Amino acid sequence: MSELNVNAITDASGGNTTQINGATPTNDNLMGRNRIINGAMEIAQRGTSAVSTSASFPVDRFNFYEDVTSATATGQQSTDAPAGFKNSLVYTVGTGASPGAANYAGIQQRIEGYNIADFGFGTSDAKTFTLSFWVKSSVTGTFGVGFRNGSGTRSYIASYTINSTNTWEYKTITIAGDTSGTWLNDTSTGISCFFDLGVGSTYSTTAGSWQAGSLFGLTGGAKLSSTSGATWYITGVQLEAGVGTSFERRLYPQELALCQRYYQLIASGSPKTICNVAYYSASAIYGNLPLPVEMRSVPSIDQTTGTSYYVSYSAATGDFFNSLTVGSPSTKRAVEFYNGTEISGTSGNAAFVRTNNANAYLALTAEL
Amino acid sequence: MYKLIRDVITGEVNVVNKQEGNRLLSIPFDPANTDYQEYLKWLAEGNTPEPADEV
Repeated sequence: MSELNVNAITDASGGNTTQINGATPTNDNLMGRNRIINGAMEIAQRGTSAVSTSASFPVDRFNFYEDVTSATATGQQSTDAPAGFKNSLVYTVGTGASPGAANYAGIQQRIEGYNIADFGFGTSDAKTFTLSFWVKSSVTGTFGVGFRNGSGTRSYIASYTINSTNTWEYKTITIAGDTSGTWLNDTSTGISCFFDLGVGSTYSTTAGSWQAGSLFGLTGGAKLSSTSGATWYITGVQLEAGVGTSFERRLYPQELALCQRYYQLIASGSPKTICNVAYYSASAIYGNLPLPVEMRSVPSIDQTTGTSYYVSYSAATGDFFNSLTVGSPSTKRAVEFYNGTEISGTSGNAAFVRTNNANAYLALTAEL
Repeated sequence: MYKLIRDVITGEVNVVNKQEGNRLLSIPFDPANTDYQEYLKWLAEGNTPEPADEV
């Protein structure tokens, strides 16, 4: 065992490119370099059933899109993954059809402006960035992946090639940052990353340069949505400043907390607890729920409703109701729930609210 | 369909509910909330929500 005590480590010429285990330590490749959240597709708070509704979330933070006329498709978390990964996201085409001009199909993540503020887009100091990912597809060819600013006024289409069918392949794409346009660096969308699986001509262009407009498809690229039964898997998605590095591992609870800034599942099934409440009057209950993670915006309540889906217990009596409304004093750190239309109890009583139906589901959403 | 919601305590209308089948979105009037942004876009297209119930 030896001990090394030095003031600096430089490369042979005295420069700053010394490598440790093959990587050059820089400010850009330390923890927090991956601006994609849930890139390993492990978090699926909404459940692991396949989704088919466009803009829904098969896994946290990744939108599924299928807007191609006459085509069907699903998005779903999968356990098919390359070595070192547990999960992927699979896009499965049911009935295939070529996209019409204004159609689009694919997978997208919107990245919050705060998380790319240091990229300096829209300035002369715009940084080069790299997207890397593992992909496996039943269709080979040259595919597109599009990057846009939040307002959809600046776009860049890159391409990657799938060489072999049904084989995991690792792709790395490095792009010079955009020195033009307006790129938001607040809680709005900073940049979106759209994997083109069937984008029509209206939203498509050639690869390799920043352009004005909302473009996220590759002209002449492979369109998975055209092939019935086709599958496309993706995992290990990383977007970082500078050149590509190995996938940044985060612990499961860390990744979950990052996802909860945008979506928090509170209760699913029955009986599941929601929060404590008080009877403000005989016909209104109010309660509040401090949140474990500050959300991006004041959240909406996303819930299923039905007769007696929820119950308020007080004084050994159940007071059944159908839904909860978000209170206007809610903040990004605590949510107020209330029901003032379906309640019948005793003013002043304390109570607790549970789900009361196997199909009851309640979550908070502050997605981009 | 959107329906405006009146707060029982304050009497103010600053929440809107959106019902789609058995799914209900209860949306606060927060400019950063994308559900609220979608509601404003729907309003700008000339649509009108159901009025709030009286307290």
